[in-house]
Amino acid sequence: MKMWKAIKEREDGSLRPSAFRKGVVSSRAASLHLSNSKEFISLHRGAINSLQIDSTEGRYLLSAASDGTVAVFDTHQPTSSHSHEGPIAKHRSLFHLTGAHKFAISNALWYPVDTGLFITASFDHYVKLWDTNSTQVVMDYKLPAKVYGIAMSAFATTHTLIATATADVQVRLCDLASGAFTHTLSGHRDGVMSVEWSSSSEFVLMTGGCDGAIRFWDIRRPGSFLVLDQSLSQLGRRPPLLPRAFNNEPSSHPTSSKSSSSIRILAAQKRTSQKKIQLKPATQRSHPGMTSSQNHATAHYGAVNGLRATADGLYLLSSGSDSRLRLWDIESGRNTLVNYEAMHIQTSKPIQLAVTPDSSLVFVPCMASLKAYDVWSGTTINTYRGHYESVNCCFFNAQDQELYTGSNDRQILVWSPSIPAATQMETDCKGGTSIDQDNWSD
Amino acid sequence: MAESSQSRGKKRSRSESEDDPDADAASLQSIQLENDLTFTDTAVALQMMKAQFPKLDKVVVRPFILRSQLYSSVKDRTQVDRDLESLKKEAVVRVFKLNTGKDDHAIMFMDDYLAQMENAVKRYDVKDKELSEVFDWFKQYVIKSKTDVSISHPDLCSLLSNGGDVTEKHVTLLINAGLLTRQLIDQNLYWFAIPNIGSILKGLSQGRKELLSLINQTKYKEMVLANLEKKRLRLSPLDIRFHIRDLIGSGLLKTVQSPIGVLIRLSRD
Repeated sequence: MKMWKAIKEREDGSLRPSAFRKGVVSSRAASLHLSNSKEFISLHRGAINSLQIDSTEGRYLLSAASDGTVAVFDTHQPTSSHSHEGPIAKHRSLFHLTGAHKFAISNALWYPVDTGLFITASFDHYVKLWDTNSTQVVMDYKLPAKVYGIAMSAFATTHTLIATATADVQVRLCDLASGAFTHTLSGHRDGVMSVEWSSSSEFVLMTGGCDGAIRFWDIRRPGSFLVLDQSLSQLGRRPPLLPRAFNNEPSSHPTSSKSSSSIRILAAQKRTSQKKIQLKPATQRSHPGMTSSQNHATAHYGAVNGLRATADGLYLLSSGSDSRLRLWDIESGRNTLVNYEAMHIQTSKPIQLAVTPDSSLVFVPCMASLKAYDVWSGTTINTYRGHYESVNCCFFNAQDQELYTGSNDRQILVWSPSIPAATQMETDCKGGTSIDQDNWSD
Repeated sequence: MAESSQSRGKKRSRSESEDDPDADAASLQSIQLENDLTFTDTAVALQMMKAQFPKLDKVVVRPFILRSQLYSSVKDRTQVDRDLESLKKEAVVRVFKLNTGKDDHAIMFMDDYLAQMENAVKRYDVKDKELSEVFDWFKQYVIKSKTDVSISHPDLCSLLSNGGDVTEKHVTLLINAGLLTRQLIDQNLYWFAIPNIGSILKGLSQGRKELLSLINQTKYKEMVLANLEKKRLRLSPLDIRFHIRDLIGSGLLKTVQSPIGVLIRLSRD
């Protein structure tokens, strides 16, 4: 967008300030390229598995690698020991912890309230809580299997629970305040690879498992209240009122299909006296929360290895090892059938997706490159090629519209908007004055 | 109509494929979609590709279309998904998940599928004549009501029992005839399958590999489309145009416009 023209319009009131800001932010986010002004010197000797910037200041980048090391970088101030090291500002780590864990660290999170604490989770079955200033372990939790991911709710006021996704079928919630496990959520039939708290409610947790199912849990009640099924779909943003919805199709309602099939089974049993079928025996009394454990609906044909909720809390993006990315409407629990063009997602590790805060672009690591897709149309906006090996994680810094990516080649790359605002205004200015020069005389 | 579409340029550009059908729209109305006055691009693309399905010598198979082929001939993939969903719900087409590679689906028109099923049932000699009525129950109760790609064991039994007593032997018969396949992930779920299609699926996966290696052997990993179409694949009974469409749709090949025509290039990730 033409910067000078937009500023003029904002001044005289024809463009609202919020629309001006939105336009600038979205044009910058859509024009990312490998930064030629900033780089991170990472001392990691293993693949980088997780990147996160703290939500309080938006300044410190926490990275975790497969060699058991954790590092924190300052994204605003370059660390320069000499006065002038060249055109590219080098950011070295503020501290680099070696030996933090015995095996690979799969995820590292900042404590949502401030940067005084951070949490790391590793394949050595431990989740550790660290004090940032003294870089010492404050608390640790031992889990029964290797931990694939952790999550904490960004705005929780009543609880400080860490949700852990492990190779064990149960999701455990660890409490920071007491040091104990408060909840055990069972329902998945295989390990859980990804976990994400809802961005609209502090009590709703979403987990994606290796069995391909995505479950929604309300931690105040037992059992999952929603299991996403890829065959239940809606066309568009809101489920339309189809006339067919009233002709009780068995596939139109997720919860009633189970009860209607059980009614049919009972009716069939009454009709035919000798029944030779062995149906699945009901193992326990059907508690209202536990009936969902028999719901075998899958959201992907492989493992669900990445989950990201949009900032407005309305939609969920999930990536699976079947190389599909799906967009789900959280309220109706249906697949919106947006098709994101061909991508190849690595199948062995959990990956980290990123969405811009206005939910317009989603960044997906696809093997050695990163692709940006338009969330609603599914078209590829951009492909970012710069890493030498598979990209594992990405994080979008909403304040500066920069993207940070970490990959198996041990590097953290920075992608920044291609035209810095100052240069844009200069080029607009030049164009403007040439027109003015012709029009100055009468 | 079938001959005219086959004689045209093989890989037509996308704008062409959307203009063509308007001329044939009148003749297409006689086939299932008589209630619709407007044709979505997906439905028309399906008809066109059904007409172009290669004639096979050894096996008699009704035409089926792969989902990736549909993506390569209609521009907007989201629209394709949504149209397919509504066509599925109206029981005009049936979608099957194939086990060749990840996320492969085959689309077949409903009457083609029913004809294929009849052929398969006729050819499969049933030892126990009483069990053969399960095929009628399957056609009448299960196919009409279940439009998904898979079905769970309790659902299957309850739907089949609308016809009569159902035993495990009936379900075994359905699996042996090739109408249902077990899933590896879950013991209680079955995939719907197209019967007698095994040799073609083998040809599909081998043909894909052969085509990719053909292009890989060239110096710059690209080939002019006109030259590529003249080649014949050794390992696959399906013709090369089928495979080209499929690979373009799944993203492994891409088309590039050049002064000498359309080039097919191997896409690097």
